[in-house]
Amino acid sequence: MAGTLAPRRRTAARPARGPAARRRAPRMQAAPTPWLFLLPALAACLLFSLYPFANTVLLAFTDARTLEPGSFTGTDNFTRMAEDHRFWLALRNGALYVLGVVPPLVLLPLLLALLVRDRGPGIGLFRTLFYTPVIASAVVVGLIWTWVLDSRGLVNGTLQALGAITRPIPFLTDEWLLLASAMVVTVWKGLGYYMVIYLATLNRVPQELHEAAQVDGAGAVRRFLVVTLPAMRTTMILISVLSAVSAFRVFTEIFILSNDTAGPGGRDITLVMLIREVSSGLDGQVGYGAALSLVLFGLTLGLLLAVLRLQTGRRGSR
Amino acid sequence: MRIGTITRASALAVAVLLTASGCGISMGTGGGQGGGGEVSGAADGSITFQTWNLKTEYADFFEELIDEFEKENPGSQVRWVDQPAEGYADKLSADAAAESVPDVVNVAPDLVHPLARAGAVLELEEARPGAAEAYLPDAWESFAMPGMDGVYAYPWYLNTGPVFYNRELFEQAGLDPDDPPSTFDELFDQALRMAEETGGETAMLGQTPGIIDLGMYGSQLMNGEGTEFTFNDAPAVEMVQRYREMYEAGALVPEALTQDYTGTGEQFMSGALAWAPGSAYDLENFRTNAPGLYENVGITEVLTNTGKANMYLQGVAVSAATEEPATATAFAEFVTGAAQQEAFAREVQIFPSTAGSLEDPYFTEDDGTDEGRVRVAAAAQLESAASYNPVLFNDQMKNLLRDEIALAVKGDKSPRQALDDAVDRCNELLGEG
Repeated sequence: MAGTLAPRRRTAARPARGPAARRRAPRMQAAPTPWLFLLPALAACLLFSLYPFANTVLLAFTDARTLEPGSFTGTDNFTRMAEDHRFWLALRNGALYVLGVVPPLVLLPLLLALLVRDRGPGIGLFRTLFYTPVIASAVVVGLIWTWVLDSRGLVNGTLQALGAITRPIPFLTDEWLLLASAMVVTVWKGLGYYMVIYLATLNRVPQELHEAAQVDGAGAVRRFLVVTLPAMRTTMILISVLSAVSAFRVFTEIFILSNDTAGPGGRDITLVMLIREVSSGLDGQVGYGAALSLVLFGLTLGLLLAVLRLQTGRRGSR
Repeated sequence: MRIGTITRASALAVAVLLTASGCGISMGTGGGQGGGGEVSGAADGSITFQTWNLKTEYADFFEELIDEFEKENPGSQVRWVDQPAEGYADKLSADAAAESVPDVVNVAPDLVHPLARAGAVLELEEARPGAAEAYLPDAWESFAMPGMDGVYAYPWYLNTGPVFYNRELFEQAGLDPDDPPSTFDELFDQALRMAEETGGETAMLGQTPGIIDLGMYGSQLMNGEGTEFTFNDAPAVEMVQRYREMYEAGALVPEALTQDYTGTGEQFMSGALAWAPGSAYDLENFRTNAPGLYENVGITEVLTNTGKANMYLQGVAVSAATEEPATATAFAEFVTGAAQQEAFAREVQIFPSTAGSLEDPYFTEDDGTDEGRVRVAAAAQLESAASYNPVLFNDQMKNLLRDEIALAVKGDKSPRQALDDAVDRCNELLGEG
């Protein structure tokens, strides 16, 4: 074997004497360098992302509890999930949240970006004001909105003082109104973030296109529809993906507004809240929680791929 | 090229999975370390003592206590750590999973059960025979775990009622503030009257009933063997039905469906509620944070149909994995001993669980102050108090019960159906445990 390998090595080495080999040589010598740069991040990723993920996959097929390793139970956790009405409730709420939050988070920040695009007196102040909710802590935002919406809060107090209502509107104690209130908070908090993304893209739309459309007689609305919107399409898809994924994993808004109860009767529970509830504590059902986490991961990934496929399909059809 | 990338990615994923499975699922102790025989010897080791949200207010007290122990036991060293109130159970579970439960740790009875089952805390009747004699029998028994032999934590401080009510709101509703409700029926009737008189503006109650309320109303929470929950009996159904009537009439605040003890306390302090259960500790809170309310606050006894008020209890457990069992048990007995508990009760409105301590004049003689009156009334109540919260009733079960009762109170389910569903689900969870 060794006798046959030696000539092969020589044969393989022969073309490497050309200019291409000279170009590759320094790369080969420098090969460990990028890996060394990557090492800290890679180690962190392996330790804090990939290993926990793999452990979650394994746990999903066990009946492990917080303090007990558990044993292999096959697909029992998934069968239980199918029979768990709270899982279906969480799935419904997640889907409704995506439907309720994604359209306003795609459209409203674009309108805001158009409003604050042009430089002018005080525009910096408006940009800052619109962005402020983004940097505010989600918990603080949730608490502020709780004071605004509870039965003796700002909205109910004002409406009652004006005589518009006799009994408070149950923003935080009605299944549907609580969900809607949480959506409002999510949209309000997300507007500034997506506005900044739109602003960056808006500045890259060639001015010549607007001028050409104007010469052709297009008004402001027409120019928005035929010039701005098409230029924004990729960004809109990106924002719809980002907002859909985070909407499906909503936790803080409902958690705070419902005072950690998922609404009256737990009817506003989401998947992340359910995972937390079953897995936490000294006797948490870690195995079932891991199975729920896997399903959430699969659904989020599916959502992401579906939107990206939609984007690819549209590109292909052009 | 694409296939190559996918192959490499798959190989990496498989490698990661294999590595993970090779490492195993390191989840907790999973084995009993509790049975280790009698603990004796000199208390001269180094230990860690963990408390639950006590450092902010009582740092001086505990530093002095530790100094005293170290002086009495030459060579001993105690490192004190304090954890915030929020997420305490999660912190303990992380410690237990990593087999690093602090040597001496502050626990509540429901936190002890999973720790005891996992063998993470010492069984005391075997480790320290005779230790029970120093404590009130009911308090000692509160740390006996169903289905297991022995006791798994030293009783520490106790607390109980009273109930506070807003005299001004009572007057505004035409109720006699000098004659507050003394039975559940009177409370519910007066709550309906208050709602009617004020057009739903003032609510008497801020919370739906929980497991302790059902117990005090007369429900038999578990069967005699302690193997099944039974809180879907007639008294429980009746209580939930009364709450449903009160909710419809506006005698409960709308937030009652999702509100906990803290929220109720805050609403009472803001004057939105007329009636709130509390503890002797709350009175100081009213004086500092709601002086207007403090002027109008009425104090009365906890309502109970069983003749026994509820007793809240804290305990101190010793880690089964401690390397210094003699020092750890000696320190736990020092902290929970009569002298230290009585001294702590003078720092804050709590009550000692040690035998004979409640006979001290400090707990039996009214000194004329509001605090003294509350203290004496609560101490008297403790003599016949019981801990209604079953140690097997974990947080997930509490949430299930809260949700089902909310549905019943709101009218989405009948009280009977809601309680049947809650009991079925809680028993399922009990069976899975």
